[in-house]
Amino acid sequence: MRIKKKHQAGAAKNFITRTQAVKKLQLSLADFRRICIFKGIYPRAPRSAKKANKGSTAPTTFYYTKDIQYLLHEPVIQKFRDHKIFARKLSRALGRGDVSDAKRLDENRPRYRLDLIVKERYPTFLDAVRDLDDALSMLFLFAAMPASDKVSARVTEDAEKLCNQWMAYVARERLLRKVFVSIKGVYYEAEVKGQEVVWLVPFKFPQNIPTDIDFRIMLTFLEFYTTLLQFVLYRLYANAGIVYPPKIDAAKVQGVGGISAYVMEGKREKESLLQTSTTKKAITESEMASRAQTISTVLNKITDHAAGDTIATLADDDDEEEVTETLDKFTALPSTDTVISDIIPQPDETSPEEIVKTLFSPFTFYVGREVPLEIVEFTILSLGGTVVSESVLDGYLHVDTDALPDAEEVDFDARQREVDALLKKVTHQICDRPALASRVPGRIYVQPQWVFDSLNRGRLVPVDEYAVGATLPPHLSPWGDGAGYDPEDIGKEEEGEESEEEDEEVEGDKEVEGDEEEIEVDEEEEDEEDEALQHQRELESEAKGIIYSSTASKKRKRADKKPKKSAEEKQAEEEKELRKIMMTNKQKKLYNQMQYGIQKKETRRETLKTKRRKLEKNKQNKKRVL
Amino acid sequence: MAKRKLAGAKKPAAKPQTSVQITGNQQGSKLENVPARAPRLLIEDEDEDNEDGDEEGYIDDEAEEAEDDELEYESDLDEYDDEDDVSEKFEGLLDGAISDSESEDEASDDASEGDGEEDDADANEEALHFGEDDENEEHEDEAEVIKNSVSDDDEEDEYLSKYSAASEAESLSSISSDQDDSRIAYYTAGADGGPRPIYHEIDPHYSSDDSDLEDMNTIGNVPLSAYDEYPHIGYDINGKRIMRPATGSALDSLLDSIEVPEGWTGLIDKESGADLKLTKDELELVKKIQLGENAGDVNPYENTIEWFSSKTEIMALSAAPEPKRRFVPSRHEAKRIMKIVKAIREGRIVPNKPKVRPEQMVYDLWADDLQEQQPHVMHIPAPKLAKPTNDESYNPPEEYLPSEEEINAWNETDAMDRERDYLPRKYSSLRTVPRYEDFVRERFERSLDLYLAPRVRKNKLNIDPDSLLPKLPSPQDLRPFPIKCSVTYRGHKGRVRAVSIDSSGLWLATGGDDGTVRIWEVLTGREIWKATVGDDDEAVQSVEWNPVKDSGILAVSAGEKIFLCLPPIFDDETEVAGQELLAAGWGYAAQPAPVEHINKEQQCKWIKPSTKLASQGVDVVIVCRKTVKQIAWHRRGDYFTGVSPEGANMAVLVHQVSKHNTQSPFRKSKGIIQRAQFHPFKPMLYVATQRYVRIYDLSTQSLTKALQPGARWLSSFDIHPQGDNVITGSYDKRVTWHDLDLSTKPYRTLRYHTRAVRDVRFHTRLPLFCSASDDGYINVFHGTVYDDLLRNPLLVPLKVLKGHTVVQSLGVLKVAWHPKEAWLFSVGADGTAKLWTS
Repeated sequence: MRIKKKHQAGAAKNFITRTQAVKKLQLSLADFRRICIFKGIYPRAPRSAKKANKGSTAPTTFYYTKDIQYLLHEPVIQKFRDHKIFARKLSRALGRGDVSDAKRLDENRPRYRLDLIVKERYPTFLDAVRDLDDALSMLFLFAAMPASDKVSARVTEDAEKLCNQWMAYVARERLLRKVFVSIKGVYYEAEVKGQEVVWLVPFKFPQNIPTDIDFRIMLTFLEFYTTLLQFVLYRLYANAGIVYPPKIDAAKVQGVGGISAYVMEGKREKESLLQTSTTKKAITESEMASRAQTISTVLNKITDHAAGDTIATLADDDDEEEVTETLDKFTALPSTDTVISDIIPQPDETSPEEIVKTLFSPFTFYVGREVPLEIVEFTILSLGGTVVSESVLDGYLHVDTDALPDAEEVDFDARQREVDALLKKVTHQICDRPALASRVPGRIYVQPQWVFDSLNRGRLVPVDEYAVGATLPPHLSPWGDGAGYDPEDIGKEEEGEESEEEDEEVEGDKEVEGDEEEIEVDEEEEDEEDEALQHQRELESEAKGIIYSSTASKKRKRADKKPKKSAEEKQAEEEKELRKIMMTNKQKKLYNQMQYGIQKKETRRETLKTKRRKLEKNKQNKKRVL
Repeated sequence: MAKRKLAGAKKPAAKPQTSVQITGNQQGSKLENVPARAPRLLIEDEDEDNEDGDEEGYIDDEAEEAEDDELEYESDLDEYDDEDDVSEKFEGLLDGAISDSESEDEASDDASEGDGEEDDADANEEALHFGEDDENEEHEDEAEVIKNSVSDDDEEDEYLSKYSAASEAESLSSISSDQDDSRIAYYTAGADGGPRPIYHEIDPHYSSDDSDLEDMNTIGNVPLSAYDEYPHIGYDINGKRIMRPATGSALDSLLDSIEVPEGWTGLIDKESGADLKLTKDELELVKKIQLGENAGDVNPYENTIEWFSSKTEIMALSAAPEPKRRFVPSRHEAKRIMKIVKAIREGRIVPNKPKVRPEQMVYDLWADDLQEQQPHVMHIPAPKLAKPTNDESYNPPEEYLPSEEEINAWNETDAMDRERDYLPRKYSSLRTVPRYEDFVRERFERSLDLYLAPRVRKNKLNIDPDSLLPKLPSPQDLRPFPIKCSVTYRGHKGRVRAVSIDSSGLWLATGGDDGTVRIWEVLTGREIWKATVGDDDEAVQSVEWNPVKDSGILAVSAGEKIFLCLPPIFDDETEVAGQELLAAGWGYAAQPAPVEHINKEQQCKWIKPSTKLASQGVDVVIVCRKTVKQIAWHRRGDYFTGVSPEGANMAVLVHQVSKHNTQSPFRKSKGIIQRAQFHPFKPMLYVATQRYVRIYDLSTQSLTKALQPGARWLSSFDIHPQGDNVITGSYDKRVTWHDLDLSTKPYRTLRYHTRAVRDVRFHTRLPLFCSASDDGYINVFHGTVYDDLLRNPLLVPLKVLKGHTVVQSLGVLKVAWHPKEAWLFSVGADGTAKLWTS
């Protein structure tokens, strides 16, 4: 038998250190980093670092050798090399003051495209949708960032455009499932093509940009994410029958910006729109370019009939279609002895998701100017509601006539009338102020959290808790708590416990007659001891001058119940402990690891519970004092 | 020879002129050669010059020029016709002068050249130059004309330039005709009888062409020999005769030939008719030309002159006239521009088209719609970020808000070690929520994680932890087994180290550190009998009842002594039988022992007890050399072993009660012996050292097996009543079960005690065993051994008996099973013995 050499196979072959990889690819470290980000290549932690590093235990980063091998033939790397040469030529031309040469070079600079890399990384569309979380979060961050010397304005503009296109799509298709306003920003969850996509949007404030952050890395990621989202959006729009890229309503960009400026026009409708100019949509289409201030367009602008108009009307069309093309029900044949018929799960019209889609469709919301419009608008539109924004209305009614491009006479009375007609439709007003000076009768006044909670619960939450100036109920994460603690359940439990106690007192009598006499005997013994103790305590407290309250006796009752319950539990637990003896070492380790996590969760749950109890006690005490 | 060479040398110089003449463009030379020509010709020459200057040549014009040239020649011929004969004479004269063998044609050529050699040199060069230029331009022009036929625009230009050239020529001719009349002084009768104009004497002023040619012979190409008969040799520029210079007599010439004057060549100057003299330098030059060397005074190694240097010159270096192409719009460019214009008109090129950024080109990337594939095994997708929980809410439930201590703790911990990267905060309304300071940083860190963090696939077991617990029969189904402590036997002071129950199961014997042996009534817990055996409070190490029914013998070891007692608790018959059995040995001991036993006798003495001990019920005392830690009876009750770990090769001794005899089975030390025990029914001895349990066959006196429990220090072991299984307990907390049929290694190793295991015991009848430990607990197990060899023993933990208190880190020291019931007796460091019943 031949002697096998060490470090010739296995982990030593499968993994390659970073330095080796860079040498093999003949790239600079920065270029290597970029290609890794584009191609989604990441370091690995081999099972045995020593084996992978050929016997050395020095800390090293390992890559999978085949990943690097694939990179050898990557066209983008060739472009990197071309770019290096281009940079050299350009710098030489600039050094010589050869401006025209430099310009020519710059025009023909080598450019790479990432579309094939996107396709390579996500062979199917669903793969791409599944991996959108990070892409969206990054794009939304850059959309909110100011342009600086590190981040060019083009980049932020592109990011903002893509973000708005994404939101416009989600709103039109009513795909939003969850909203969570956290201290970091707003989390959204949409269900796109059956995949959960969660992204985080920062609040609209200038971001704090730490100085020690390498923006090149983030921009490289952004470059890839931009390409990814472009192609994903194209496909999504195409599947939804909408033209991509959506046209931007110039008037609305000036007014509100955001998703309401996007005209989502269907591919089928496009032709008809061009022919029939009587419909409202046609006006938005054709006249938007020439006369941005015509009444009808502005009407669109105000109502946000928008998103409102275009989205909603298109959605109406869809609805009509849906009405005509009602789903056929497949009723399964009753299964016989010979034939067993499977029942296929079918889309249910009354499913919570379907309800959520049209939760707000009968309502028109008047959004106060103090409310962050982009959050509320997106949510309401996704639930089928209509939005009227105070800030947009103000802009419409108090237009600066001098600033108009063509000195057109603005008929303010007519405008006022339009607005009044519009305001009549408003059912809810969302405002975020401590108090309101005047209220319009017939409107429901709520704080913005009502919108989010309604979506998360999948039903219209009672309004009274969210009234203006009221202390809001806690805003809970739709994804629950990591430790499995549910603050709402706790509330229910405590309510339940009180009623349970009464019930059990009645039941307790019956139990005595039952067959658990033995246990009763035991209990009696314990009771005797307890009573003695109880008596002692009472005496002590009397000596101190405190009335031994009835709550204490209640507690005692509860305490009585516990051992009865725990006797069985104890036995079970004991048996469990005994069975643990017979576990193998491996099983024991695994079991203990699992128990660690479980214990941690358990302790967190317990601490939260005790805190809650304490708080409630304090509250009760306060009430009593009052 | 010299003459011939000269003529040969002249030939190449003459050639260029002939070639120029063939092209028919010898305007320059013509002007010089024919100064007094008809005014018509002169005008035509000027015309041609003009056209040259115009730099526009056309085929038509060329044709005209050619015609003009023909006319010129004709006129020339006319002039010279009458002098034909004369020219022949000249030829002959020259022939004689230059060379005899030269042909006439050549000679004529040479002569004509020779005449105007110096004068024509410059002009020839010029002509050559112009000719070349013209040639080139002609070609260009031809090409242009062909092109012009295609493009109309160009034609217009052509016409314009032509027209202007023609008009210029006309104006010039009119001026020259005016001047003609003024030049004529008077007319005389010519040779043809017509008036012959006589011109004014030409005043060759500075601007005149011939200013430097004074007294020039003007006979032109006519050979000088033609004037041989005349006293003159030609005419000067004014038409006056140039008289032949005076020639000396034949003698003079002979003298001259003998006495060669300086510079003599023997040639006659055509111009003057005198001897042609050449200076030394001139001769040198001719020689150089002959040899093909550089004729001029040229230094081949001259310093380079940097004409084109970094210095900016004020004046232009080249005086060359600007070429035509610099002034004329390029047709080629025009053509290219027209192409682009056409492309723009046709829409093939869209000017000022906004550039489409390549990244903005979007299409359906997933059009081919692949089926979802299983990702590569080695691919590890990046984990998604954890979903936000309630405590991240802007308005969380109040219990999530951190307390003061939690905030402090959070602030104190390093950012790396924090469980959460934020502190929960509560805001009363949405409008009060500020920005999140670390938003950018968190995104950045996520990016870093995505491309920089080594990934590893961790298989997360998504199973119920309880499923890991082995499936065992419920202890409830395996009853009876001891559950609770029913009786506690108190009385010992200090630790109780030994316990034994008699075969009837009624009497419990215990021994402790206080040096007493006590017998208790099992059910009531009453102390019945007590004997103090240890001298000076020596601890009782071991107490064992004789296993034979109704023998009533109790073996007690304390210190180095073993006491065989007959406690007075049985009926008289039993007592008497026991006494007889013990006493019988004295007789054997009295007999002289065999020689080999003498030594052993000395080491282990069987003596009668003192009266004090005898009164307490002790019948026999065996004195050993070392402390006897353990006693174990043979099942027949005649033999028992005593183990004294320090005894080296005498550590295990086998005592025979009936003969008061002691044997040492081992010659050599086998290590520190912990325990020794007889097989339940086979003649075998099991001996436990610190690490091994050795099994000796007593009949063959050989080692059959050595078990390796894998423990560091065994404390105890016990043999299953069927003899095929052994359990061991060790001080390193392990209990092992050995199946002797399987291996020398343990079948199961169990670790459940938290302290050293002190004792392990099998029940003699029921499938039960137990282990006692210093942690104060006794673990009771069910252990079924099947007759089927293929089935492994079934071990089920049944109960943990907790009751003994731990004193000075010692817990339960010894246990004993009731011979019939599932009862267990245990003694501990707390000074009590306990009975555990089911």
